[in-house]
Amino acid sequence: MDFSVLTDQFASLTFDGIALGFIYVLIALGYTMVYGVLRLINFANSEVFMLGSFATILVATKLFNHTIESDPLTGFKLVYTMTAMLVGAMIVSGVASVIIEIVAYRRLRSRTSNRLTSLISAIGVSIVLAEAVRMATSSAPMGSPRLLDKTILATVWGADIRVDTLLVIVFAIILLIVLDLFVNKSRLGMGIRAVSMDYDTSRLMGINLNKIISTTFLIGGLGTGAASFFYITVYEMTRFSIGFELGLAAFTAAVLGGIGNIRGAFAGGIALGLIEMYASAVLGTQWRSITAFVILILVLLFKPNGIFGESLQQARV
Amino acid sequence: MSNQPVLELKNVTMQFGGVKALNQVNLQVNKGEICALIGPNGAGKTTVFNVVTGVYVPTDGEILFNGKSLKGKNRHKITKMGIARTFQNVRLFGEMTSLENVITATDVHNKSGLVGSILNTPRSRREEKAGREKAHEILKFMGIDHRSDQLAKNLPYGDQRRLEIARALGTSPEIVLLDEPAAGFNPSEKKSLAELIVKIRDRGYTVLLIEHDMSLIMGISDRVAVLDFGEKIADDLPSVVQNNPKVIEAYLGVPADAS
Amino acid sequence: MPFNLRDTGATLWANSNKWQRYLIAGVIIVGAFALPLLEGTFLNTPRTPFVSVLFYPIGVYVLMALGLNVVVGKSGLLDLGYVAFYAVGAYTAGILSMHTKLNTWEILPVGIALAMLSGFVLGAAVLRLRGDYLAIVTLGFGEIIRITALNSSAVGGANGISNIPNPPTTFGFTFDLESDRNYYWVVLILIIITILIIRGLSARRPGRAWESIRQDEDVAELMGVNTYKYKLWAFVFGASVGGAAGVLFASKAMFIAPNIFNYNISILILAFVVFGGMGNIWGVVFGAVLLSYIPERIRFISEARMLIFGLVLIIMMNLRPDGLLPRKKREKIGIAGGEIK
Repeated sequence: MDFSVLTDQFASLTFDGIALGFIYVLIALGYTMVYGVLRLINFANSEVFMLGSFATILVATKLFNHTIESDPLTGFKLVYTMTAMLVGAMIVSGVASVIIEIVAYRRLRSRTSNRLTSLISAIGVSIVLAEAVRMATSSAPMGSPRLLDKTILATVWGADIRVDTLLVIVFAIILLIVLDLFVNKSRLGMGIRAVSMDYDTSRLMGINLNKIISTTFLIGGLGTGAASFFYITVYEMTRFSIGFELGLAAFTAAVLGGIGNIRGAFAGGIALGLIEMYASAVLGTQWRSITAFVILILVLLFKPNGIFGESLQQARV
Repeated sequence: MSNQPVLELKNVTMQFGGVKALNQVNLQVNKGEICALIGPNGAGKTTVFNVVTGVYVPTDGEILFNGKSLKGKNRHKITKMGIARTFQNVRLFGEMTSLENVITATDVHNKSGLVGSILNTPRSRREEKAGREKAHEILKFMGIDHRSDQLAKNLPYGDQRRLEIARALGTSPEIVLLDEPAAGFNPSEKKSLAELIVKIRDRGYTVLLIEHDMSLIMGISDRVAVLDFGEKIADDLPSVVQNNPKVIEAYLGVPADAS
Repeated sequence: MPFNLRDTGATLWANSNKWQRYLIAGVIIVGAFALPLLEGTFLNTPRTPFVSVLFYPIGVYVLMALGLNVVVGKSGLLDLGYVAFYAVGAYTAGILSMHTKLNTWEILPVGIALAMLSGFVLGAAVLRLRGDYLAIVTLGFGEIIRITALNSSAVGGANGISNIPNPPTTFGFTFDLESDRNYYWVVLILIIITILIIRGLSARRPGRAWESIRQDEDVAELMGVNTYKYKLWAFVFGASVGGAAGVLFASKAMFIAPNIFNYNISILILAFVVFGGMGNIWGVVFGAVLLSYIPERIRFISEARMLIFGLVLIIMMNLRPDGLLPRKKREKIGIAGGEIK
């Protein structure tokens, strides 16, 4: 263990951790919102992220014909290319999420089937998507052209504030505020909250459940799509297994903050991003991928309701 | 009927968030009696069952079974001590046969576990045989032995309700808690169920019964306790409770007076 | 009434007397031991010798599917990290053969014991959680085991462990690169033992406890079933079978590395269980044999193996959640002389 790395680069690790944390927060939305409504782990959400990350790169390379050697863009061109990449990722992820719900969950929901069935079906969807992409890409990673020059804007306590990480943080905050307003103020958002609180009563009250559930998947997918765009902007690389790697960490973030709860996902995501960065500085990056799992197990053992404490284990009798 | 208490609730309070589902409830069920628990919807009757069987841990107060506190006891331990229950909405093991449903309950007092079952030890064989015989005997007593090889989910509704009671009796309880056993029954079914409950009592079981049908209750209960908004408002002989003004108010929905 | 293999088999069994049952069982067992004779027929596998395929993947995967079936199929606990126990078994074989003179048969009980121990530790920690959380925590556990092995130089890191010795010659049966048939027979013996144990458990108290937990855990507990204990038993039993499979695999393959024990193996085994019929021994055996054989027989399927297994999960759950050979669904009507009377 090497604590000197941690102390030397504390500010820089913190800044990177927060940026990574916001990516987790956005992916965690796909888990937490669906869990809130259906009480079901949306296993396939990791693949929604994976699809979004490929979509981001493909918009740049196929739609705008950039290659990996392309020079960074500036000005208006930069803005509309990046916007197109973001929108492309969100559309692909949002649509994928809605389709997954229809293909894998809806049929099972209409019956009085047990939860194991939906869960296994969701895992199946996740495997199919990852494998389809693996075969299509021959397991090769796909790099992204660097369209946004990674200019260092400022140095704070030794940490470089780069434009790409700053962009992630700023836009993620804007998206989260919009989402929070939507869920708390709009009619549809209230429907979602009603279903989260009491599924059966909401159905009896004549709420159109399928519409609410589709909307939930759509929002989760849009958030996850935005996350994949931000991820590509910072890390510039994806591959078929990226969903498995990041998705489960994001799920941990959702549980950490208290699943089913948007603000909890926010707290959990940031916390996990920071913990991962600090832990990999101390233990070495090769252990980073299991940090999330270890945290997940510890949280479920000692604080199963997460930081924000929505109850997971209400007695059902 | 003796006055020896089997089950005692002492100042039991159950609070969910800001709502007191039970407020300082005292209740005593004596050995060999049929005690009915009545009250309007949401009065806290099923909550009483849930705190007694360990589903909820009461916020305050104490529950005694044969004088021993149930505090900190696991649900299956409470069942093993001699408290069994049924559920308001039938919750059988649908994909097991009726017989298997009851045998599963009889297993609670068995000693052989995994190793005994793998090795098929004499004790395991003996217990398996005894469990089967006992289950058949209970099913016969409940009048549904002809259903023993049918899956529980395929039973007619009335027989499902009887099977729930049979399963509860399978655990060899001292007291059975019956949660609206006659729900959805027509008058003649109710009548035969009432007879059955008396038979259960006469076999030596103590019965605590939640029911809505007044005529059923008044006919068979030795004592009636009334809950309203989580508080016990009456506890007496059926004929006395029937004329208690507080009870009538609670049922008719007239606002309670200032006291 | 449509033809139903499970019911036909069950009826045949139920209507047989003791000797007829021995005869049926004997025919099945002899038939299974004789399978290597089919080498060279249309069943031949193009890339790997047929008898070798009988041991791995078929035999090893059938064994694991039987173990996972107790956890997922019988008790309803979704374990997505089953590969971890397989890895524990295999690494026990690897590490012990590096540092001791123990042979495979002596290592086998140690591997099983260590797998059970890890099952116990994990189970004791996570089985208080309900349903879906168990799935994701077990998945995480599988990854923790794999990545720990990957980063531990003591067990060879990413290179794994090689030169694991084959089992010694036993009762005149040799175990070397040429003796695929003998390996197959060993795994077959383990499969038969496992089936006998599971049958014993299913018909008795533990089987009922698991079944009741799967159907309604809360009610099971209120009916006096010590749900935590029985869930833990299911977990530990499943782990023991996975551990045995791991030891056997390592001693034949002679080489193990962390990336052999990835998440996909857990999913693979789950697909076998789901495809054949959760909770039914014969369904699971059938599912595991079929799904592990087909990719070996038909080349192009091998490439798309995981894709197809993913599709199997989705399709089965949506169209036939109880699998091809569902567990006892029909009642005993028309079956005379059944065991329960």
